[in-house]
Amino acid sequence: MLREFALITFTILAQMSVGAFLVLGVVNFFVVRKAGQVEADRMVDRSLVAIIVVLGLGMLASLFHLGSPLSAPSAISNFTTSWLSREILFGVAFGVLSTLFVVLQWFKIGPVVLRNVIALLASLVGIVFIYAMSKIYMLPTQPAWNTLATPVSFFTTALLLGSLAMGAAFIPNYAYLKRKNPDCAELQCDLMRSMLRWIAFTAVVLLGVEFVVTPVYLVSLASGSPQAVESARLMAGELGLPFLLRMILAFAGAGVFGFFLYQNAQSAGREKVLGYMVYAAFVLVLAAEVFGRFLFYSSQVAVTL
Amino acid sequence: MAKQLAFYFDSSACTGCKACAIACKDRSSLPVGINWRKVYDYGGGGWIPSPAHPEIMLPNNVFVYSTSTSCMHCEKPRCVEACPAKAITKRDDGVVLINSDLCIGCRYCEWVCPYGAPQFNEEKGYMTKCDFCQELQEKGLNPVCVDACPMRALGFGELDELRQKYGNVNAIEPLPSADITNPSIVITPHKNSQPSGQGTGRIIKLTEV
Repeated sequence: MLREFALITFTILAQMSVGAFLVLGVVNFFVVRKAGQVEADRMVDRSLVAIIVVLGLGMLASLFHLGSPLSAPSAISNFTTSWLSREILFGVAFGVLSTLFVVLQWFKIGPVVLRNVIALLASLVGIVFIYAMSKIYMLPTQPAWNTLATPVSFFTTALLLGSLAMGAAFIPNYAYLKRKNPDCAELQCDLMRSMLRWIAFTAVVLLGVEFVVTPVYLVSLASGSPQAVESARLMAGELGLPFLLRMILAFAGAGVFGFFLYQNAQSAGREKVLGYMVYAAFVLVLAAEVFGRFLFYSSQVAVTL
Repeated sequence: MAKQLAFYFDSSACTGCKACAIACKDRSSLPVGINWRKVYDYGGGGWIPSPAHPEIMLPNNVFVYSTSTSCMHCEKPRCVEACPAKAITKRDDGVVLINSDLCIGCRYCEWVCPYGAPQFNEEKGYMTKCDFCQELQEKGLNPVCVDACPMRALGFGELDELRQKYGNVNAIEPLPSADITNPSIVITPHKNSQPSGQGTGRIIKLTEV
């Protein structure tokens, strides 16, 4: 149980970090064009630090699924054939590159172009990291994992949680800026509202992806091997409650609160309400993804003796 | 041609007594929950009412047979390529071994192996599995499971030679398809043996395995 809990924590936090990093990259891209580098830095710098902390916690959690955690470093030694080694290698590479970028960015060391190149490199490595993570599970002995739904759902988790986490992070960041630097508050408020609108839209679209992928996945399991059928049966039966909770929480978070967030971010003066909405959306979707990942591990039926 | 040691199993002779599994457990002092060799009883069929006396049930294709399994020391061992710490290796003689000093206990090999061969030792924090009794073989002795079988249903030797002698069967129910790993096993099927993936029965008394 501890082992599964460690894997759920690790995969979700790591995917959220990569997703958040990508989302901040996009936010930065638009804000720089709209309001210049200084305003963009004000908006993203503090959130970047949060991403590194979350990634670090995720990596730490991963150690708890090992029988011999002290030997963890040797887990990268078989990268020529093992996707598990590749995952750890790309995970560490993403950690190093993103941390390097955040340090340079925080202290404004080096030209912006160089920092952007490092950030872009970190983003690409992060994408490969999530892909490698999904390949670990795509095994002929594990039919419920050995489908396209695994990478699709891992990337959906990354972007959904990443965007909502960063949306939620904008709120305290804005409160901080308003207190420290009232001059920029109005502009920052406009930027935040437009980014929250964009994030809410993304969340609704990704929810749509989940709501299309899930039934297709279940139907394909139900028409697959005996083990795949058993997985589908588990999700419809014994694991029906977490399955239902997952769908309801995702819909409530990304769908309902996402929609209201999109609506309310249109006009100024509702920052407080926006805060509650994006917090609620994030917490609900996080809970949904935890249930989803719990199902991922517990519904799998292996083709083994 | 590369050498490949393999087990031979005669399902038509096996009575399912599990002496092989016990000898294995004894020789390697395996703790509760870990069994490198296991015997699966696979059965099926049913009962139909007698046409003349419907109150009497007649057996209808009832069958059961046993399969003794261990690590198959596969030709294409998924565990070797999957192990992130290079703790599992395939020797020149085809034997697949886990180096417990290198194993980090991530249990990934448990997911990739179709035969349930690598098993986690909770207390020691690493994976363990059948080592083909390499110590005994170095002394010119047979693996204990082979010697323990009262029916002489187990054997071992060079895979090619075993195939020439006994044929190519390497996947009967409840074993999974041989396509995944090319297991180094030669089986003489029981008269009721069913090919992998086409079984009409089920594993009986799984808790007893």
